[in-house]
Amino acid sequence: MPILSVTHLSLTLNSQQILKNVTFSVEQGEVIGLIGPNGSGKTTLFNVLSGFLKPTSGVMHFRDADITSVSPAQRARLGIGRVFQNFGIFREMTLEENVLVALEALPKEQRMLLGSIKDAVKGTLDMVGLSHHAKKKAGSLSGGQMRLLEIARTLKSGKELFLLDEPTAGVSPKMTRQVADLIGELKKEGKTVLIIEHDLPFISQICDRVLVLDVGEVVLSGAPREIKHDKKLQEIYFGADAAPY
Amino acid sequence: MPRFYNLPEMPFFFHLITVIAIALPAQLGYTFVFGRGKILHFGPIGVSTVAAYGTFLTLNATGSFLLGLCAGVLMALAFSLLFAWLSFRLDSDGLGIMSIAVYLALFAVVLNWTSLTRGALGLPRIPRVPFADSAMSFALLTTGACVLWTLFFLWLDRTKLARQVSALAEGEWHAKALGISRAGAHIAAFVILGLTLASDNFFYAQYYHLLHPSDYYFPAFVSLLMITVAGKPGSTPGAIIATILLSLLKEGLRFLPFPSAVLGPLRLMLFGIILLAAVWIQRDTLFPKKRTI
Repeated sequence: MPILSVTHLSLTLNSQQILKNVTFSVEQGEVIGLIGPNGSGKTTLFNVLSGFLKPTSGVMHFRDADITSVSPAQRARLGIGRVFQNFGIFREMTLEENVLVALEALPKEQRMLLGSIKDAVKGTLDMVGLSHHAKKKAGSLSGGQMRLLEIARTLKSGKELFLLDEPTAGVSPKMTRQVADLIGELKKEGKTVLIIEHDLPFISQICDRVLVLDVGEVVLSGAPREIKHDKKLQEIYFGADAAPY
Repeated sequence: MPRFYNLPEMPFFFHLITVIAIALPAQLGYTFVFGRGKILHFGPIGVSTVAAYGTFLTLNATGSFLLGLCAGVLMALAFSLLFAWLSFRLDSDGLGIMSIAVYLALFAVVLNWTSLTRGALGLPRIPRVPFADSAMSFALLTTGACVLWTLFFLWLDRTKLARQVSALAEGEWHAKALGISRAGAHIAAFVILGLTLASDNFFYAQYYHLLHPSDYYFPAFVSLLMITVAGKPGSTPGAIIATILLSLLKEGLRFLPFPSAVLGPLRLMLFGIILLAAVWIQRDTLFPKKRTI
């Protein structure tokens, strides 16, 4: 059974159809890249999957539960984690509080599995080498450090499905490697990842499968090596006369 | 003997203590909701109105302070829940306007239901609790309550609820994506504010032996807002210091050689200027920059 299945999902906002009949499913442990030109509806699809936008039609199942009308907070408690494009870190809070607030929001049973919350917070900060900044305000971190902290926090909070929205945007090449390593760790642990990225070599390196979205529709799907020479991808992503990446 | 113990001046000292002790819990409650949570809630004065009338109409009818307090608490909780419900159905600006509208409606009922509230005449001869009839004992009672509330808020600042309220204020979607329920956090914050308002109003009318609607005009809310902003929004120690300093300033103005008809507007103007200066100084941090996805 797929961990996530999306069936005939459509969304219309202000009389404009943003998502059109989107259908796909994701198996447990898969890392799936979601690519497409700007305005193709990738982040909107994530907003629908995480419950911030209600679809006009269609259904979504997480494991065997229909989550179409479930609130964002409940989806998070069910095990869907989200890393935002614009940093989901609370800049006015310390690094320690940023991790603590995520772990405290877990359902009680999951919190119990973590053991000591204090140790779990320290472990999370250690994971990304930020434990010596624990008492600093998160706003003082660089963009890359914020990104790593956000991914580590989501990872540590026991989610099963991760929606990562451009996790390498504005991140140095060194930290991009660290992000890739963190995603690799998620895969090793059998977690499922849906990732929006514009960095196609990065996507090819880490993803099992790629979905290409254009004008709100899934137009291509397949393994990175299968689709990267597809003419349709070249057309919609790079323009008709572009060379393959 | 030090001047502090000069007996003729003691009543004013007790008055200062009492005024600060009555005001502080509600101030801390508002600092939690507006300062920390950035929830644009202008309704505390409305909750105060219904809590005060609930308390003292019940007291007049039954003669029981306990029943009066329970009625005040219930009224405060009911209207706090109403405001909490509005807060998760309206955005921040909408809540600000709606909370003023709800306050005006409540105040109109209090002023016009004269058979029950005596309208603009207010409720005179409000008794004090029997064991705290003197200035000193009343000051001790209110200070005791104030210390308990202060300890509660200092503890609250380090709790999960405080972190969740801060997270929701800074990035609502980001907080929800972690599993934080806005409804749960807002209900808890509004209920705590409601309880502090019930406590504040239980003592306030007893102290002056009078429950008068003029104490619940909207400008009375300005000092609550001003202290929250001046004391650094969301900071419990800041709110404590600002309450003490601004209460001393407010009471100190009594010694200026002006008639009371001049002192009232002067006080309001002064507080308006302080609010303006505090907002200007903290204009970048008063509300966090809203982030879009």
